[in-house]
Amino acid sequence: MPFLELEKLTKSFGGHNAVDGLTLGVEKGEFVALLGPSGCGKTTTLQMIAGFVEPTSGAIRLGGKDLLAMKPAKRGLGIVFQSYALFPHMTVAENVGFGLEMQGVTAAERRTRVAETLELVGLGTFASRFPRQMSGGQQQRVALARALVIRPQVLLLDEPLSNLDAKLREGMQIELRQIQRTVGTTTILVTHDQAEAMALSDRIVVMNQGKAEQIGPPHEAYERPATAFVANFLGKTNLVDGASVRPERISFAAAGLAGTVRTRIFQGNHWLYQVDTASGLVTVIRQNTGEAMPGEGDAVHLLWEGRA
Amino acid sequence: MSRNGPLALAYHTLFVAFMLAPILVVCWVAFTPEGFLSFPTDRWSLRWFEAIARYPEFISAFWRSLWLGAISSAIAVAISVPAALAIGRYRFRGREALTALFMSPLMIPHLVLGIAFLRFFTQIGLGGTFAGLVLSHIVVVLPFALRLTLASAVGLDRSIEHAAVSLGASESVVLRRITLPLVLPGLVSGWALAFINSFDELTMTVFIAAPGTETLPVRMFLYIQDNIDPLVTSVSACVIAVTVVALVILDRAFGLERMLVGRSASHGR
Repeated sequence: MPFLELEKLTKSFGGHNAVDGLTLGVEKGEFVALLGPSGCGKTTTLQMIAGFVEPTSGAIRLGGKDLLAMKPAKRGLGIVFQSYALFPHMTVAENVGFGLEMQGVTAAERRTRVAETLELVGLGTFASRFPRQMSGGQQQRVALARALVIRPQVLLLDEPLSNLDAKLREGMQIELRQIQRTVGTTTILVTHDQAEAMALSDRIVVMNQGKAEQIGPPHEAYERPATAFVANFLGKTNLVDGASVRPERISFAAAGLAGTVRTRIFQGNHWLYQVDTASGLVTVIRQNTGEAMPGEGDAVHLLWEGRA
Repeated sequence: MSRNGPLALAYHTLFVAFMLAPILVVCWVAFTPEGFLSFPTDRWSLRWFEAIARYPEFISAFWRSLWLGAISSAIAVAISVPAALAIGRYRFRGREALTALFMSPLMIPHLVLGIAFLRFFTQIGLGGTFAGLVLSHIVVVLPFALRLTLASAVGLDRSIEHAAVSLGASESVVLRRITLPLVLPGLVSGWALAFINSFDELTMTVFIAAPGTETLPVRMFLYIQDNIDPLVTSVSACVIAVTVVALVILDRAFGLERMLVGRSASHGR
């Protein structure tokens, strides 16, 4: 039996199913990403687990116990919000210690655990700062520390990195993954960013219109998308003669699908091509290996594995 | 941020001068040694400030106005907080009507309110009492208290409270430790604005106050009906001085600009 179970979870808003019969099992210690475009129901799902939204029907069980029967304050979940939702009138230490205070942990133990957790997220020296004196990335870490310090049964991350700039986001992804591995907390991430979902999670749930289109490890979903929606949402894809082909799997060869290079864009570590062929416009990505590459207007032949 | 052009600058200067001129004139005249409202004056004296001491009814009226403003504004804010939290954050039947009801004293002329309260208070035996003054002032200042409290309640990020709940806080703890501290700036500015309105109120109060429960504006109004001398200007100058000091203190404590635009962003100590 999975640690966290969602069973036929449904939420209707005025006749429209925001979440439509979602069934999902999450194992202990697993990192699962709910991935999809805005309005796909991923955030509503998270809020139902957290207890801020009541499901119309279905069940949520945590460790075999009915989670829906518990008040949100009693569920023991750690949540990191998109806006961080730090308490602006409290210092970093007070923010992080708040959950422990609610649990009745003594002041002395609170100090130790707050210090440990701040150390874990790399903010050991920031305890007496106020949130507004910190950068977005630092506030993000405080939010993570505040959620982790109560040793939550499940950690819920709601678009935690979407307010950070691209470079910082990449660094935080790596760090977030390391921290999650270290503490081993079962984690659910809600995101619209496919790169983030693939980088962080053990399994991804690709959601569309309230339903799970595919549930599986990132690599598997990318390589063998169950639906056209999944193929399109997880990176670029070509639909050639009814088959889905990833741009990086296509190479230039002496023979194959004939075409003409329409545009060529240099992107540092790779080249991005758009090639006019008899089967339509095909996107091709080639690694930059330093070799000479076809230019715009050149006649080329495209070849990929599985092409008849 | 765009800079003001010379024309806009001239306009702003004129506007500020227009706002400040009456206040400056009043303060200037207050220092005249003459027995009439002489302006401009080039001789200075504190005679009319000393004169205040000979009119204990002015001093007692000042204290009464201070207490009246403080008490009625505090009660108005106490009513505003739950109202603002409900109106600002929930969609329920009768929400619009409730808002309109709370705001309605703004739309009724104070003259009408004065006559109505006079009749009503006489009927229920509160005529000419301090309690009656407090009740009527609560009604008049409530819209001001509610407006600013509402602004900060609306601006409050719900996920901050959700975060507290997820960390195990009960509803009363969330209210006490999170929600109230976060709306405090709006609450204080709402109180301050309500206080200023109460302290300044004449049109309605002149009907309700009786000898012995006169507020400062009423006392001054009655005084200038009989005498035109610089005493009212020296009293006014004192009130202006107290107001300026109060504003400076509020600005240091909460940031005046943020208070008066009713932002909810909290201020650390």
